[in-house]
Amino acid sequence: MGVETKPVEGLPLPAPLPPGEQQDAILRAVSGELSENGFVVASLDKVVNWARTGSLWPMTFGLACCAVEMIHAACSRYDMDRFGVVFRGSPRQSDVIIVAGTLTNKMAPAFRKVYDQMAEPRYVISMGSCANGGGYYHYSYSVVRGCDRVVPVDIYIPGCPPTAEALVYGVMQLQKKIKRTGTLWR
Amino acid sequence: MKLMAENQIKNYTLNFGPQHPAAHGVLRMILEMDGEVIDRADPHVGLLHRGTEKLIEYKSYLQAVPYFDRLDYVSPQNQEHAFALATEKLLGIEVPERGQYVRVLFAEIGRCLNHIFNITAFAMDIGAMTPMLYGVEQRELLMEFCERVSGARMHMAYFRPGGVSQDLPAGLADDIYAWCDQAGPFLDDIETLLTDNRIFKQRAVDIGRVSAEQAFDWGFSGPNLRASGVPWDLRKSRPYDVYDQLNFQIATGKNGDCYDRYLVRIFEFRESVKLMRQCLDKMPEGPIKSTDSRVAPPSRGDMKQSMESLINHFKLYTEGYHVPAGETYTAVEAPKGEFAVYLISDGTNKPYRCKIRAPGFAHLQGIDMMSRGHMLADIVANLGSLDIVFGEVDR
Amino acid sequence: MDLAIKDLGEYIASALPQDITSTGLVLDELVIHARAPGIVKVVTFLRDDVNCQFKQLMDLCGVDYPEDEQRLEVVYNLLSLTHNNRVRIKVRTDEETPIPSVTGVYSAAIWYEREAWDLLGVFFSDHPDLRRIMTDYGFEGHPLRKDFPLTGHVELRYDDEKKRVVYEPVKLTQDFRSFDFLSPWEGMDRVLPGDEKAEEAPENGGDEADG
Repeated sequence: MGVETKPVEGLPLPAPLPPGEQQDAILRAVSGELSENGFVVASLDKVVNWARTGSLWPMTFGLACCAVEMIHAACSRYDMDRFGVVFRGSPRQSDVIIVAGTLTNKMAPAFRKVYDQMAEPRYVISMGSCANGGGYYHYSYSVVRGCDRVVPVDIYIPGCPPTAEALVYGVMQLQKKIKRTGTLWR
Repeated sequence: MKLMAENQIKNYTLNFGPQHPAAHGVLRMILEMDGEVIDRADPHVGLLHRGTEKLIEYKSYLQAVPYFDRLDYVSPQNQEHAFALATEKLLGIEVPERGQYVRVLFAEIGRCLNHIFNITAFAMDIGAMTPMLYGVEQRELLMEFCERVSGARMHMAYFRPGGVSQDLPAGLADDIYAWCDQAGPFLDDIETLLTDNRIFKQRAVDIGRVSAEQAFDWGFSGPNLRASGVPWDLRKSRPYDVYDQLNFQIATGKNGDCYDRYLVRIFEFRESVKLMRQCLDKMPEGPIKSTDSRVAPPSRGDMKQSMESLINHFKLYTEGYHVPAGETYTAVEAPKGEFAVYLISDGTNKPYRCKIRAPGFAHLQGIDMMSRGHMLADIVANLGSLDIVFGEVDR
Repeated sequence: MDLAIKDLGEYIASALPQDITSTGLVLDELVIHARAPGIVKVVTFLRDDVNCQFKQLMDLCGVDYPEDEQRLEVVYNLLSLTHNNRVRIKVRTDEETPIPSVTGVYSAAIWYEREAWDLLGVFFSDHPDLRRIMTDYGFEGHPLRKDFPLTGHVELRYDDEKKRVVYEPVKLTQDFRSFDFLSPWEGMDRVLPGDEKAEEAPENGGDEADG
């Protein structure tokens, strides 16, 4: 982006400080820099993005076969918990929705409702070829040809089903995308 | 004492929505409840209806094989098995013995995959989180075998009409032996966590009782029927492939409740491991697919050298083989129950009608009968023990 | 008493002469053709008779033969556990005539008949709850009929202005590529005109429009 990150005087980046006199001094210095130079906003962006990518909470939206690979990605071998990814059951508590499986016409309104209930910033990962573009069932009468007809998608993961490793890679790509394009207000 | 004015008490209708962590996929159930007790449960299926049967009518027989993988996606190969057997019956071809042994081996691998998933998912729905974590690692090991033999972890497209697509690579048999040796202790660990657990028993014993007459009436099959006391297993009564030459036992339950279904599956898992060992011991050398070149494609080496093989390969993979007109209803003992394919052929290269009889469809009908009078939390236990997967219910 | 499967067919036919039109063996499987009005009697007999004991209805499906007068066929697949037998019963009807429902005999038929109604349009009289089960809530048409197109008539997307999903006519970016292997230009097992040495050509043209 052409912005250089300059560490705040006397402090290496990033170093967590306990709350207290020192932290207040830093915060006052930061807000002073904000009105002067503007580059501190970028640094705050990075902190915010680091927080967001470090704890992406997906919602369990396993529709079909890809759900099994999603479960495999969340369990012992390809443990996603070490990335901070904890599966939540409720859309209100999650950041990302992984659409795993075929989206049918009957399911689409429910899916959109669930997506609308998520709070900003929210991301969508489309997993598997059925969610990407209808996949194996593209020509069927009852399948939505890609979940991007219903929600805006950030990352597409190809495969039928994508291996659990591919899903982990996709989540890491989403983390990179958030770090690259994320701002304070989504 | 003054009586209260007559209050109309209406049943509370709860939507056990399509998105639910314990719904095993996309199930929408409308529950009419009297307080916490369920009066009526009305499942709405079709949220994963992808039009498989209609799509199969537009594809050749070989192109239709992967559709069967995606039906019951926790044990894909057992579904392919039914379609392969049905097509072979219509074609009138024989599968060589080694091919049959490889099929039975991978069918039992599928049974292990399914029972691990069902037992641990059932436990997770009830509240025990640990078995899922360790069970999935076992599934990963089994899926590694599937990947080594066919290239894909889950949807293998391995069982084709005529045999299997490729032979076992070197070293796979020894690795499967090693897995079998450690599968017994793994299951013992899971059993120490669950079988005698007070909480598990309280949530599963006497929940969802199904008597044998009810099981017959509602079309139950597989472990659900055996748990109600009926010793019926298609591998024993109508053996296909080499099941008649293998030694194994079947378990029946006494009460027909969720706990019995769980115990039947645990026993079947152990028997599957025994069956896998027997298959590996008895497997002969030889071809793994039918040598009839009207059905089985030539090897890749031949295809690249000889013109006739190339033409044969081309015709088989574009037009496919023409199956003589006829119809058949072929059933296999899938891990969930009786999975059958009713295949009608009209003599062309595409099936005329392929009806898929999925065990989950019949079992899910019975959820209303099983859950009346039970509490809301018991519906989750019932669903888990019935082993429902929406790929096959909705097709 | 175990009867061989062919004798069983004759036994059943002799027991219900008015309702059964024919029995036979197809690839070692017993197939019974019955008349639609008497299907409940046939099925009850098959379930209760001591030689039959077909206690389980395994499958009930519909098949569409659009060229025939009675285009819809319903197929019942029954299983007898005690005798280890299977039997198939077929009845025919057209689009308007209902078939009596067998839900009184086998409760398993409830959903199967709903599915046959939904996907093929076979109407069952006396069904406790005949509504659609597989297709979408407002779906029109019966998908598994041969004259229903593979891709259907409508498709779905989310409309940002109306803030809900809308149904629009189907517009495919790439058509379904279907290859007509029965035409004389593709497969070579059809007799070309003027080829006297070959055998008699099959009756109908074979150029069915596919896809």
